[in-house]
Formats: sequence, structure tokens, C-alpha cells
Amino acid sequence: MIYLDSAATTLQKPPGVARAMTWAVKNLSSPGRGGHAAAMAAAEEAFACRCAAARLFKMRNPENVVITSSATHALNIAIKTLARRGDRVLISGYEHNSVTRPLHEIGARVVVAASELFEPEMALHAFERRLTDDTKLVVCNHVSNVFGYILPVERIAEACRARGVPVIVDASQSAGVCEIDFERIGADFICMPGHKGLYGPQGTGLLLCARIPKSLLQGGTGSQSALFDMPDTLPDRAEAGTHNMPGIAGLRAGIEFVEKQKVQKIMAHEHSLIEFAAWELMKRDGVRVFYSEYGYCQSGVLSFCVDAMDCEIVGEELARRGIAVRAGLHCAPLAHKTAGTFETGTVRISVSAFSTKRDIRAFLDALDEILKKRRSSPKTG
Amino acid sequence: MVYYLLICRSLTYAQRSAKALEHAGITAIVSRVPAGLSPSGCAYGVKLSAKHISNALVVLRNADLHPLKIFVQYADGNFNEVSL
Repeated sequence: MIYLDSAATTLQKPPGVARAMTWAVKNLSSPGRGGHAAAMAAAEEAFACRCAAARLFKMRNPENVVITSSATHALNIAIKTLARRGDRVLISGYEHNSVTRPLHEIGARVVVAASELFEPEMALHAFERRLTDDTKLVVCNHVSNVFGYILPVERIAEACRARGVPVIVDASQSAGVCEIDFERIGADFICMPGHKGLYGPQGTGLLLCARIPKSLLQGGTGSQSALFDMPDTLPDRAEAGTHNMPGIAGLRAGIEFVEKQKVQKIMAHEHSLIEFAAWELMKRDGVRVFYSEYGYCQSGVLSFCVDAMDCEIVGEELARRGIAVRAGLHCAPLAHKTAGTFETGTVRISVSAFSTKRDIRAFLDALDEILKKRRSSPKTG
Repeated sequence: MVYYLLICRSLTYAQRSAKALEHAGITAIVSRVPAGLSPSGCAYGVKLSAKHISNALVVLRNADLHPLKIFVQYADGNFNEVSL
């Protein structure tokens, strides 16, 4: 199988990840639940994971690294800390359902700072124009999971800070691929999964905190047990329940892999593959490609549509030929509405540090077969 | 031998404190706090030899790390709270 669905989850992991998880299953109990060797070893591993994340994202205090079960979990904590019913919340036009659904559930008054694809200056102006005195929160996607569009979150956060508006950054597609300097971005929360660009296992995520979050889940923390209230310090306040130690061990190994490879190198590699794919796709008749010629605005994610062919059928045909992609709305209908692809959806390819040019060529060969078959029997889709 | 036990607000805080002390060459062990000593049940602290306590407090202060409480543990195993 040629795997080009890393935006969903990275399938190929560094070998150290599985080794760390196996070791954890055999050796680690639960951190903060005892003073014996297995509990203290678990505590050390969890701390080492926080420290690795703090190094990668340039945070001074590893306590402010909360380990979650996913980016969605992290976003729910962040959003429900800062937004209430009726609050005016400003979002980009490229947000994922993990942002829009919690806001809808809360009953926030959501305003979309929509702007054209791959136009970061427009995106910044869209936010600046809509930042009013009654804006309570801004939530902004760093990189679109549909189009790979890199939004100027640092400048957006700066504009928000100048107006005293808190910011949540969804770094689901940027963690491990784009430089994220927590202090420099100045967001209140940055949320990310462990299983995409950080190469950890599914079931892990991180919430980087500049403030104490609301406690979304209450339960045992192994600390201040005599109190009915959740502890008011991090990370305990946001980490009720037993930790996923195999996941945390794997996540630590993944983060250390990214640290060693260097984020800029990973990004350069992924971007070169996407650039190659985009230019090749643009040569094919009837293929509409969503590609930015401004290299700094696009990550390792690329969407395209095939004329007169349902995107799901394209995805299915590619899967039949051993090419794993994702088609449809990608849990981001808002992004598609903003870009004008809501009616059709798109086919998305997304690469990782382990993807190769050969993978892209195999994908292109498979697509060529599908396009040829479509030309010879037009009633498809 | 006499030890000091610095009670911390959380396990992670104790780990940070131990890391700062180890970095300064002071052996520091993260350990559970005896039930009778912890302010609100279930706590972790950093245990270190009494001979290092003065340096340790300076190191922690410079790192902006502040224990909740400090106890001295005597050779007979008894604890006494000490104030700075």
C-alpha cells in the first residue's frame, strides 16, 4: 500500500515508537499512583514526554504541557475554558469540526473571518476587521487539514493580544511540520494530536497552556486526594484518570524523532513532494488542483478534484490500486464552503517524513489509469 | 542519616524540582509523602541529604520553584516541619 493519508494519521512511525510502547506495556504502571518502581518509572516517562514537548515547542515549563487523548480532547478543554453561551467567537474559514462542533454545542455566536485560500495577508486582515470590542475568543487553524494552507497564526495572535482577546491555535496539522514557538506565538492554548506530525500513537494529544484550563473531566489525579475539587495546578487539573502510558511512551519517542530530524527538514521534504505532485497533477486534463505557488503557505497536504467524477469514487478507485488517500469533506465542511468545494468535496493526499517521490509517482500512475478509464467510459461517478 | 523532604504541589512539580537540583549536582529523589504530612492527601516531594539543604533552597529559589512545606526526617524516622 502507498500511504498518502498522513493528515488523518501517520501510519509509518519511527521504529522507536513501537519499541517504547512495548517496553511501557511490560514495565510501567501508573504515574502518581504509588511510590514503587513501576509507578515511579511511569512518572519519569510521563515527565520525559512533557520535557520533550516543552523543548520542541520552546516552552519554559513542562508542567504546562498537558497530555490528552487527542487534539479534539485538547480543543474541547481549551474552547470550554474560554467560551460561554452567547459569546462572540471569531474563527478562520478553515476550521475543523473539532472546533466548530464544540462552539456550536456551547451556543457561542460564531463569526467566520473568511478569506481566500493561500492568501495569508487577506487572512490577517479578515481577522483584524472582525476583531470587535465584544469578541471574547479567537480560534484559528494553523494549517488546514483539507488544503494544507498555512495561516499566519503568529500575526493573528499578535493582533488579538493587542485587543486583549484570547487565542486558541489548532496545531493538528502543523505540530512537527511547522516551527511552533509557544512563547513567541503567544496563544492561550495550542492544541495538537500526538499521532500525526509527532509520530506518536493514536490516543495521544497535547494541550500547551499559557493559563489554567477549566477541568473538563473530573476524577483521580493522584494528588490532593482529600479535596473534592480538582487541583488548581497543571498538569493535574486537566489530567483526571489513568494515563495512557504506552501511548505517552510512544509519543515521547515520536517527539524525539522529530527533534532529531528537525522540523524544517521535515517540512522541506514534505513540501517538495507536494510541489512535485501538484505540478504533475496540473498537467492532467480535467484535474483541478488546490496548490499555492507561495511555498511558505502550504504544508504536506494537497487537495484536488477530477471533473465529472465523484471524489469518493476517485478515492475508492485509488484504494483499489493500493493508494490510500482521503476523499469527501474531511470533517471540515467550513473549509470546503470557504474554498468553494462543499458540493463536490475533494480528494486529499498528505505525506509524511517517510513518504517518497516513488509514492507520488505510484499515485500518479494509478490516477492516470483512472482518468484513462473515465475517458473511455464517461458515465462514472 | 538526616534528610529533608520538600513537599511539592504535584508530582510534576516535584520532578521539575528534582531535575533542577540534579542539574546543580545535588542528589534529589522524588518520593511519596507520608500521609500525615501532606496538606490535602496524596502528595509527592523531593528528598535530599541534610548537608545539601542550604544550597538546594538557593537552587530552587533561583529556578522559581517553591516547596509547599519542608520537613526534616531524623535517623529515627520521625519528621518535623521546619520553616524558612
